[in-house]
Parts: sequence; structure tokens; C-alpha cells
Amino acid sequence: MSALIFTLKPTVTTQVDCRALIPDTLAGKTLTDIKAMRLQQQLTVADVFDVAGEDTTHLIFKQASPLMHHVGYQMKIGQIIIEGNVGDFVGAAMQGGVLICKGNVGERAGDAMRRGMLLIEGDAGAYCASSMKAGTLGVLGKTGARLGFGMKRGTLLLAQAPTLHATWLDCGWHTLPFLNILYQSFKTLDSRFAALTQMRVQRWVGDVSGLGKAEILVLA
Amino acid sequence: MILNGVQIDDTFAEAFNMRGTRIIITALNLKWAYHAANAMTGFATSVIGCGVEAGIERELTADETPDGRPGVSILMFAMGSKVLMQQLETRMGQCILTCPTAAAFSGIASEDQISLGKHLRYFGDGNQVSKLIPDANGINQRYWRIPVMDGEFLTQETTGMVRAIGGGNFLVLGQSQPQVLAACEAAIEAMKKVPNVIMPFPGGVVRSGSKVGSKYPKMFASTNDAFCPTLKGVVNTELDMDIESVMEIVIDGLTFEDIALSMKVGIEAACSLGSEAGIKRISAGNYGGKLGQHHFKLHPILQGNLSGATA
Repeated sequence: MSALIFTLKPTVTTQVDCRALIPDTLAGKTLTDIKAMRLQQQLTVADVFDVAGEDTTHLIFKQASPLMHHVGYQMKIGQIIIEGNVGDFVGAAMQGGVLICKGNVGERAGDAMRRGMLLIEGDAGAYCASSMKAGTLGVLGKTGARLGFGMKRGTLLLAQAPTLHATWLDCGWHTLPFLNILYQSFKTLDSRFAALTQMRVQRWVGDVSGLGKAEILVLA
Repeated sequence: MILNGVQIDDTFAEAFNMRGTRIIITALNLKWAYHAANAMTGFATSVIGCGVEAGIERELTADETPDGRPGVSILMFAMGSKVLMQQLETRMGQCILTCPTAAAFSGIASEDQISLGKHLRYFGDGNQVSKLIPDANGINQRYWRIPVMDGEFLTQETTGMVRAIGGGNFLVLGQSQPQVLAACEAAIEAMKKVPNVIMPFPGGVVRSGSKVGSKYPKMFASTNDAFCPTLKGVVNTELDMDIESVMEIVIDGLTFEDIALSMKVGIEAACSLGSEAGIKRISAGNYGGKLGQHHFKLHPILQGNLSGATA
């Protein structure tokens, strides 16, 4: 079964709320049903995207744009791949599944995320992983200001050294066996994360302004 | 039936229903995986006194383990699920958690899941970290990372528990103690290559087979006097005068076929030394067939019928 592909129409110039387009809500719907779904008051899916394919558990957003927000919001199952850059709140409140963004993401990526994997191959904007509750969030590119703000639990895996707030505590460099299991799970994915092998990481723990049970693992 | 000059008794081994589990232990290298596994399977020869019967099933290469490190697989059996759970948790806490670099993973799939690191995580005193990571089949598996002095103790949350069989056995009867021991060693070496089984006694061999009951009221089992060579003249013996030593190999396994195969392989290896090497008879231990749910008949098994089905 081929993945369900949403290709952003070049004519779109307004902000688009994509929170309705997750495997959980699309399950059982026909292409006609999906195209008729309302994204915002004045906007249906067909107004914004060309839609093709059938597998509602595997979504691909093509020609993605920073105009698209809340992609993967509250997703529980399946996989979403974003080809291109995307806007704010990508993977926010995620509760499961895998979300891969091959470009850059806006602000608040993974905000209040609870479970699942959010893998960002490009850069992440400010407040990445803010208020994150659990799960795994990876960023291969640069990260913005206020990284992990209010992050409670969960793992933030970074390929590049971040600028961290004083509420993140350096726990030193370690070789962590669990990373091998995490990397094994990446190997099945169509992502640059599949190439990760480095087991040695610098571990930061925070955000100690709150619960302080989260970790940032830096590969750089 | 005669095999290489060795008489095979027309009898059967009587075995029991048990609960079993498999755990994969990994470590920085095989040496430390064995330290952990040997500790975990120590004092686990018989359910009578140890609660569980456990042993190392086989070595695992780095590409066979979840965390890409060398390891060993352990099989553990108990008469009931409650004891198995208790013993597994105790042994995890005292033998794997404590062993430098060791990690523990589920080695068997089942709908029945029992705790591996589920409760052990509290050793982390609030600093333990849970990770839910999909396996090769896309099914999420929960792991616990517990901070310890050597770094992090990694364990899967649960492992599978399955129905299993314990107490498959055969007896090697021979002219002298060294000759019988040599035949048993040959049998164990061959049986170690069979998957899904363990031989839980020291070196895989037991010399103190028992019978039910005793002259002492508080004892529910006592020495199997019918097979004790030094009592040949005073009890209702099973031994001819030329038998000077008897040893037993006990097998626990996941299925009837697994145990039957290991018995076949082991008996053939023991008999390969031949009657010239002092090996005279192969027999098996049973309780008249009334206690155990499984009967492993020696003749059909050696003829290749491993299913236990009667023709």
C-alpha cells in the first residue's frame, strides 16, 4: 500500500493548521473524505494539498512550508515524513508513532510531547522540546534559544552542541549502551538518523526550574 | 535395545509441567556476561531446594543481542508462575544489577509477561529513565536505564513466561565412577548444542538421584537406593554386580520435542564411548508414571520419535 501523500499547492500563502492530518484521524477515510476535511474555518484539505495514495498510517508531506503548523499534533500511531521546512508546533503533544522532518522546523517543536519519536534532520527554532513530558526528540541541525524550556522528562538527542540555559546541568561524557538499541530502531527509517552510531554523549539533565528529570544527550 | 554394546532399558523418564522464561544477558565482553549469568544461574539446580532450575542455554554474538554486545541466553524454570517471578526478580537484583557492565533483555515472546526490570527500576531512587523503543517488528519495548556507579544499568521492563517441561532425564550406568563421568561429560557437550534446553545440575550431571519418601517422617525424598551401587546386596536393587557407578542427567526444556531431542543426542553421545569403555546400561528415572504429566520413553526417542506420540 502506498503512503498517503499531501503535496502543498504552490498557491497557498496563508498559515495552515495541519493538526487534523494525523494517522489517527485519517484511519478509515477515503481520499474523497480526506479532501473534504476542514483544516480551518475557510480551508479544506483540497484547498491546500494535492492528495494521493492510500496508507493512512504512513503520511508524507511534500513541498512543505513554514506556513504549515501543528503537523503531527497529538499523533498516536504510524509515521509522518515531512519533506521540506515546516512551521511551529511540529510534533507537539505527540503521543506515539514516528515523525520525521527532513528540513528545518519552527518554534516549539515537540512541545508537551508525551511519547513517540520526533526526528528533525535540519535546524529547530526556539523553545524546541518545551514542556516535553517524555519520548525521544532528535535534532541533527542547530537548535535555537530556550532549548528544553520547562522540559520535564524525555530525551533530546542533539548532533550539534546547543546553547543551554542555566537550568540545565552538565553530567559529563558517557558511553550509553541504550543508544545502540535506539539507533537500531532508527535503521528501519528513511532518515539520516539511520546513520547514527556514536555511543558517546555529553549528558545534561534539566530543566531544573521544574521537574528536572529530562536529559539532553549531545553527540558533538 | 543395544546401542554400541550398551543396553538401553525399555523404560521412560517422567517429567512435569513447569513455567519457563528466557533472559538475554549482555556485557562489555563475554567474560563479564558469563560472570553475570553464572551468578544468576548459581544455586539453581533443583526446584526442591532452590526455587528455580536455571542454566546457560548458549553464547550469543554481538549481532544476536539487542544492545550489540556479546552475551549469553539463560533459561529459568519453576513449578509455578509466582515462584518464577519471585526468583527472577531476586536474581536480577542480586546478580545482574550488581555485575559490572551487565544488561538484561527479554529472550522469549509471550502474552504472559513477567517483571525483569519493572520493579528493579526503583533502585534508581527517582533518577531512573524509561525509554519506549520500537523493536525490529515495530512493536514498542520498554527499557529502564538505572544510574549505577559504573554508568547505567540497562534492562528491559519485562520478559515472556511460557509453559515448559522439567525433569526429563536419563541414567548412565557403568563399571567405574571415572568411566561414567566421562560418558556424562560427552553427553553434556553434545546436549549443550541443542537449543531450548538446560541441564541444571553441576556440570549438567547429578549423582544423588532420589526416590519419593524416606524412613524419616520429615523427609519427603531420599536417596534412590535401588540405583546405589554400594547397597546392591541389601536393597531391592536395579543394578547388576558389574555396575559400580550411576549418574543422571536432568533436562528442562521449552517443549517435549526439545527435551526428547536432547535426550537422544545425549544418550547417543554417552553410548558412543561403548561398552568397552565401561558403559553398560542407560536407564531413566520415573515414579511409576503416576506423578508426571510427560513420559519420555527411551526406545521410541532413540528410534527418532521425538513427539511422544504412540504409533
